Amino acid sequence: MGLLTRWVRRQFTTRVIVLMPVAIAINIVLGYTVQNVLKLPIYVDSIGTILVGCVAGPLPGAITGILSNLIWQYAPGIGGSSIGPFAVTAGVIGFMAGIWGYLGVFRSRPASGLRLIVPAAIAVAIIVVLAARMYTIPQYNDPNAGNYPSWVYGAIVVIGAAASIAVALFVYLRRDAAGAWVAVAGALTGVVAAIVSAPIAAVVYGGVTGSGTDFVVAALRQGGADVYNASLGQGLLSDPIDKTITSFVVFLILAGVSSRFLARFPLGDRLVHVDAEPARSPEPTGTPSDS
Amino acid sequence: MIQADEEALLPAYVRRIPAGGYRSLNPLTKLTLAAVSAIVAFGVRGWTGPAVVLVVVVSSALVAGVLRRMAPFALATLPLVASILLVNTFLYPNAHDVIAVFGPLSPTWTGATAALQATLRVVAFGLSAALFALTTPIDDLLGELERRRVGRRGSFVVGSALGAIPRTVERAREVVDAQRSRGMDTEGRLWRRFRGLVPLIGPVLFGALAEVEERTMALEARAFTAPGRRTILRSLPDSGWQRAARWLLLVGSIAAVVVSLAGAVKLP
Repeated sequence: MGLLTRWVRRQFTTRVIVLMPVAIAINIVLGYTVQNVLKLPIYVDSIGTILVGCVAGPLPGAITGILSNLIWQYAPGIGGSSIGPFAVTAGVIGFMAGIWGYLGVFRSRPASGLRLIVPAAIAVAIIVVLAARMYTIPQYNDPNAGNYPSWVYGAIVVIGAAASIAVALFVYLRRDAAGAWVAVAGALTGVVAAIVSAPIAAVVYGGVTGSGTDFVVAALRQGGADVYNASLGQGLLSDPIDKTITSFVVFLILAGVSSRFLARFPLGDRLVHVDAEPARSPEPTGTPSDS
Repeated sequence: MIQADEEALLPAYVRRIPAGGYRSLNPLTKLTLAAVSAIVAFGVRGWTGPAVVLVVVVSSALVAGVLRRMAPFALATLPLVASILLVNTFLYPNAHDVIAVFGPLSPTWTGATAALQATLRVVAFGLSAALFALTTPIDDLLGELERRRVGRRGSFVVGSALGAIPRTVERAREVVDAQRSRGMDTEGRLWRRFRGLVPLIGPVLFGALAEVEERTMALEARAFTAPGRRTILRSLPDSGWQRAARWLLLVGSIAAVVVSLAGAVKLP
């Protein structure tokens, strides 16, 4: 049996096969409730995808994401009107979650002192860099592509600051350095998701999706952005926030279920924090988000 | 020989084959039609692609007798269609052929054309999905795929997910009711609705995860991971022309998209 076959097989244990449909149902039901019933300008349709990715690996994560969107589109009774083509984005999100799972991003890391402050500072720095990149990205300032209205820049600053404070508080109050890595993983996933889904929204639906996020698209168009850049701008505002919140929800779920339950999944050893390890440090030496 | 034995041994309700013009097609053919509709509706630009799909889907629905039941699916696209029409007609970038000026708003012809084309795409695709959902029993499709050596894990995931959705909806409703009775506010201002998320998501998720362990044991105890294939008793008719049509449709639709994107043939 080749190395690749073994790698694939190890990700699809019976337990993972049972978790995947549950995760798909969670994605669809929570996503539908948040987008169509509560009409909030975020999606919350990838909790199950990220959960499967980080406990089982990239492939089950990607398949969970893709199937969630296809089933949502094609299932009788709950058929969504626009979600199907975004299966590509969902697949990428699940795959990335699997990589975060391998890197042990979602493992609890109780710490104190410098061990707590350094990761929090790195996370805040990465959030600031991301926000600054969005603030100064050249294509938004290109008069041919169209400028954003000035409130977008204000929104980026406010959201960046709020996210930094929230992450720092989370890390400090829970005394858990993992919060910092979770925030970074969520924000990066969001940026990638936005970049992947903007062309889909622009080509397939003329840039809108029929949910609460369309108000942002309309506002950006009002400011003069073209179809693609308005979708990308909306995505870059919504997705990092959405995926960071989702990642924190997944982290809290994983912290809430028993270690025995987690340890039985393919990536269980990277999710369970071992308390009694006197000699070895539970902290990895490198930063998990770097690679 | 096996076919004849099956017919003799199996009671009629196991073998009940869907009848009627469109419904009697093999589930795989219907799946191919749905995929091809999506490819053509989105891939062939302009009016032609979506219009062709819409005509084919509506006439197939007429043959299958599900046209009336497709109405709710068409209605489900309304929020998206409204959004497409408003945002594109009024706020189309770099369009100057103004139809009329209403205060700060100036709808443009370019925007209206783009909006109508996107609407046609969405409706054509939405109805093709509806036609597939209404005419294809999902168990038939999964059985057919398994007969063609798509592993039982895949069909378990899809089938089980479809079963899990109503259960999760039911659980979410119970949780919302329970939290409301404790004073949670699920209507009203944005911030209040945001705060309602946590007491909704938590119990739904933990409840669903609690099931996983139990079902894993149940499946393992029933030889889910055993090697070898299951025998599917219910076989659905397939024919040579359907097999040929499936390949032809797939290849043809991809070719149509390539031709359309390359701009080799000018389509309206």
